[in-house]
Amino acid sequence: MKILALVGTNANFSYNRILLQFMKKHFKQMADIEIYEISKLPAFSVDVPLSEQTEVWKLKQKVKAADGVVFSTPEYDHGIPAALKSATEWLSYHTTVLKHKPVMVVGVSYGRQASARSQVQMRQILISPDCDANLLPGNEVLIGGASRVFSKDGRLIDEKMRDNLERCFTNFIEYIQVFENIDEEEVHMSIKRPTISDAYINFPTGRLSLKEVQQIFSTIPFEIDLVDSSDRFAWYSDKPNREHVRSVASLNEPVTECHPPKAVPVVTKIINSFRDGEKDVVTRPLWMNGHRSLIQYYALRDVDGHYLGTIEFTGSVEYILNLFENGGWDKKPDATTGASAHDEGGDQAAAPVADASTGASEADDDPASETAGSPVANEAADEDATTGASESGSVDADDESADATTGASEN
Amino acid sequence: MKIAAIAGSNANHSYNRMLLEYIAKDLRDTDDVDVIDIRKVPLFNENYKGKTPDVVADIDRRVADADAVIIASPEYNHSITSALKSMVEWLSYELHPLEDKPVMIIGASTHEQGSSRSQVQLRDILISPGVNAHVFQGEEFFMSNVAELMDEDGNITDAGTISFLNKCIREFKPYAEAINGMVAKKKEAAKD
Repeated sequence: MKILALVGTNANFSYNRILLQFMKKHFKQMADIEIYEISKLPAFSVDVPLSEQTEVWKLKQKVKAADGVVFSTPEYDHGIPAALKSATEWLSYHTTVLKHKPVMVVGVSYGRQASARSQVQMRQILISPDCDANLLPGNEVLIGGASRVFSKDGRLIDEKMRDNLERCFTNFIEYIQVFENIDEEEVHMSIKRPTISDAYINFPTGRLSLKEVQQIFSTIPFEIDLVDSSDRFAWYSDKPNREHVRSVASLNEPVTECHPPKAVPVVTKIINSFRDGEKDVVTRPLWMNGHRSLIQYYALRDVDGHYLGTIEFTGSVEYILNLFENGGWDKKPDATTGASAHDEGGDQAAAPVADASTGASEADDDPASETAGSPVANEAADEDATTGASESGSVDADDESADATTGASEN
Repeated sequence: MKIAAIAGSNANHSYNRMLLEYIAKDLRDTDDVDVIDIRKVPLFNENYKGKTPDVVADIDRRVADADAVIIASPEYNHSITSALKSMVEWLSYELHPLEDKPVMIIGASTHEQGSSRSQVQLRDILISPGVNAHVFQGEEFFMSNVAELMDEDGNITDAGTISFLNKCIREFKPYAEAINGMVAKKKEAAKD
């Protein structure tokens, strides 16, 4: 159970921070509580440029990943602090991360009122339509007399208050589970599992069951994400050990929300260039998670060329590069001897792979100049990479399909 | 009368700021309305103790100088904006220019409610002991669907809205004078 706990003030010293630190320790067997400092965020304004919203984006990701969120609020002038209101505004502006998110309000103050009024206000804000959180009702954690009820080392020493806190937090965990049973199981799992398990899709080139489609996407050594024509994150392949970790909670989000703000201008530019028909492919070689990877973006179009969306095709190319560096393509086959070379050199690890990419290397020589119109030279090479990937289609040659699987299992 | 008019939004385009600028223009023959822009006010933070930002000190002087205050409040999430709350926190921490000051709350929104919920909340905040203002009770000016009632030059295009706004201000001014009289007497009494 992952709980995100927001310290409701930007002050350096706060009993509300001490309360959350106490809860983190006290409830560590029930939940993994991460304390978040809202002082990291810029002051909310609709005019803050996207480039300055990296922290905001990070917070939104944390909220998304959490099973529940706790807000610990002091009281300033009968209300919540401006800093907490600002954080809440960020969490409800151009995003729905709080929608149906289980939330709980707690608070500490020096006086007897124990932040009661600001907690009422915080509750009203959290259930307003722009936040639309699932607020834990009742269960008031009103801790007054802060300087007396906490020990010097930050333990809540008032027994009654501690009992109440334990009761309320336990109720919160149960409350989260009620919603998890509904939301995660019913809604999200239906996205992860194909709904009609015994149906077939008839392609002009053959039929596939939904289960086969799903497993093909899980097996090919590249992960695929789809942003649809309305710029929403529509689907991702369920590949193990993905380079980009995606969550079903992000599905249907605008593409501007599911990327870090710094990446948004680049992503938007790519998508627009596909929509305008200016480009069909953009390639980015880069290091990811400690290895050489390749991200390729492709415009997805129907047969008439109408834009359907953007595919992001990502994977480690380490094993391909290793093959290359170990001389996998050193012996240049001519089209006819390619297959026989395989027979001769069966003992060399590199040989089978030469076959796997035969199709690709054939294209390598001339189509590179054929696609001279593409913006970057290596983009032409990338198109070959896809050719390689789609080689499962060439089932006519037994050798080749065998090799194709070798390549996959080597990953 | 000297009126400090505080726009409760930090957005570059704000109907609430435009509304106050309209009032300033409308009252220019009779009153001195100083429209206060809070866009440059940093987010309130207790850690600034003893280091009030200049922009806050400037607003403090302008509010303290005024005979009355009008605050125009938008509504975000059924509540006042963090920008306005931040300004009130600055003005109730080390400086207290709103103490005993007559204040009228107004507000505009592009929706039906016309910021009514944030006005109720702002009233509660302004009468809390740390702020201790006198908030005008009586007419309530909620300007709904403001985008239809105001043009982009800030002119109110609806005659009914104009006359009701005038009525609200007409009733607020004697209230403000009465409060100021009472406060002067209270200060006089405290001297004795």
